[in-house]
Amino acid sequence: MKENATRSGINLSPVYGPSDANGDYSRRFGNPGEYPFTRGTRAYSGRGWIQRELSGEGDPKRSNEQFKYLMTLGQTGLDVIGDSPTMSLMDPDHPLARYTVGTQGVSLCRHDDYRQLLDGIPLDQMSISSSGPSMFTVASLYLLANERGVSPGVLRGSVIEWPFYSEHCSYAYKMPFDLHLRMSCDVIEFCSKEMPKFHGFLEDTYFFSEAGLNAVEEAALGFVEIRHIVRALLARGLDIDSFAPRIAILTNCSMDFYEEIAKIRAMRRIFARMMKEEFGAKDPRSQAVNIAVHTSGLSLTTEQPANNIVRGAVQTVALGLAGVTALEISTFDEGYRTPSKEAHLVGLRTQQVIDLETNINSVQDPFGGSWFMESLTDEVEARILDMVNDIESLGDPAELVSSGYFKQFFHGTMGRYHRQVHDGEVLKVGMNVHQMPAEQDTLLRDISEEKIEPLFDRVEEISAYRDKRDQKPLLDSLQRLHDVVQTDENMLEAVLECTLAGATMGEIAGILRQAWGTPYDPYGHLESPIGSTQ
Amino acid sequence: MNPIRVLVGVLGMDQHELGAVGIARMLRDQGMEVIYTGCFNTPETIVQAAMQEDVDVIGISSHSWEYLYYTPELLELLKQNDLDVPVVLGGSVITEEDAGKMLDKGVAAVFGSGSAMTDMIDTVRNLAAGAATS
Repeated sequence: MKENATRSGINLSPVYGPSDANGDYSRRFGNPGEYPFTRGTRAYSGRGWIQRELSGEGDPKRSNEQFKYLMTLGQTGLDVIGDSPTMSLMDPDHPLARYTVGTQGVSLCRHDDYRQLLDGIPLDQMSISSSGPSMFTVASLYLLANERGVSPGVLRGSVIEWPFYSEHCSYAYKMPFDLHLRMSCDVIEFCSKEMPKFHGFLEDTYFFSEAGLNAVEEAALGFVEIRHIVRALLARGLDIDSFAPRIAILTNCSMDFYEEIAKIRAMRRIFARMMKEEFGAKDPRSQAVNIAVHTSGLSLTTEQPANNIVRGAVQTVALGLAGVTALEISTFDEGYRTPSKEAHLVGLRTQQVIDLETNINSVQDPFGGSWFMESLTDEVEARILDMVNDIESLGDPAELVSSGYFKQFFHGTMGRYHRQVHDGEVLKVGMNVHQMPAEQDTLLRDISEEKIEPLFDRVEEISAYRDKRDQKPLLDSLQRLHDVVQTDENMLEAVLECTLAGATMGEIAGILRQAWGTPYDPYGHLESPIGSTQ
Repeated sequence: MNPIRVLVGVLGMDQHELGAVGIARMLRDQGMEVIYTGCFNTPETIVQAAMQEDVDVIGISSHSWEYLYYTPELLELLKQNDLDVPVVLGGSVITEEDAGKMLDKGVAAVFGSGSAMTDMIDTVRNLAAGAATS
């Protein structure tokens, strides 16, 4: 980092004054709850943010116990992550999944897993934010609500849509872009009709920004994806106001305190103007975007893990000042694992201390009108818009995905971040400055290094489960899904049918790939249950 | 002298690629030839690539405990194929204790997140030189 510059390279003056921030108040800021929503999407409520911590480990039952533990600590929303196979549409008995079933999230692959996962969780009261594959999460939540006599219309929460970047950052579906985009659009359309309070379209800029992106790059790539999906939905003949109120954004928060606050304020304004002026949204709810945040795992270190508690707290203060809807802190043991029980406690207590003891929620957008913050917000906004424009001017963004443009981009940012940390350009206390010998670095180390063993039993269980199902309705439902994929029909109804017939997520995903003319199992190990259809 | 050839890859379902990409760039900047195999490797695909590409060193980057299972399998498979190529592990998820276990099993070197770049480069150079003379 250059001296007196943000992570994005915006130069900072030592002092700001009246000449640094100009502009018409109502046009550029508006009161909280008013267009263009720079100062917040809602009028002051004093309620603060939804407090949650990343959860999910082992099998669905163990994760359910984890949720209940977090609820006893005062958690107000659920945040669920699947293990790597689940996140990549792979069943636990796939040969490549074996050593990581349940170790970095919960293993989920069938409807019965969701029944166990959410057993005793009041679906009509608890907001459920799921990082799991959206189509399968939505299908199971919808079925589960019906089974429990809860109207799907009251469900709250979100699922992530990531057709642009998932193949290159974190969790690959191994699907053609067009198919992944179709899945996303089908889910969003289904949710806007059947689950109107649920965010069927969470734009998650967190996961790809962990590839070493700065705040401007993170927001710009997020908007490129939002704009493309919105255009695809409009091309289906949907009204913008039928789905835009349920678009939300999940961002990262690095240690660059001021810039992260400016980023969130700028993103609210960009979203509002884009929806109103470009896409013609009339409903104010379509223009006001809820922003939730996951604090940066990349900013944390495996050295001196206790330092990570401080990082989480500082990031939480920034987000409280920026006015976010919900947040989860990446916990002190993040460098090694998904959160331990102890880390959950510390993460949630950190949020609660800041929420309840500091008066942080007594004033909305306290930075509003600050010469410095308004100037920085303007600059971040301008750079985000320039970058969106630059990317879109290269051609159809969908082509850029297929041609590997974004993959190259992420490799560039990964290499850059790696170098910045090794060169000491990005300082990390305990890692590249103020290090200590390993034998002294013991605080919280035992907890951080404790492992979650892979669930070999679950591999056996799912493998045995396959033959126990009634084969005829199962195969009929998979065949019907295969046929539906080749029409313009929304695939959700057929997916619900497969799910009820006991199909696994891996099977359904495989059928989608097969119907698209690509291999059922991209890793070449499994055969399609409905045989070859070519 | 021919440039040192290093394979860099990630095993299993581990999809955290930042360290692997960072190391690959760093080694390339030193004039080495990097065969970057990306994610979703198994011991079989690593050994196959190592043979085809005639590499001097195999580098595995890890941000998942899967390496604890795959690494011994990889070492065994190399032995079965009479391939005397040193394996280097890197990744912040590797604890001191696990590093010791992996070294005992025959891994040539292990690096954590805070390792100095010069140490990693020197180690790869020395291992490649050793492999060339053995």
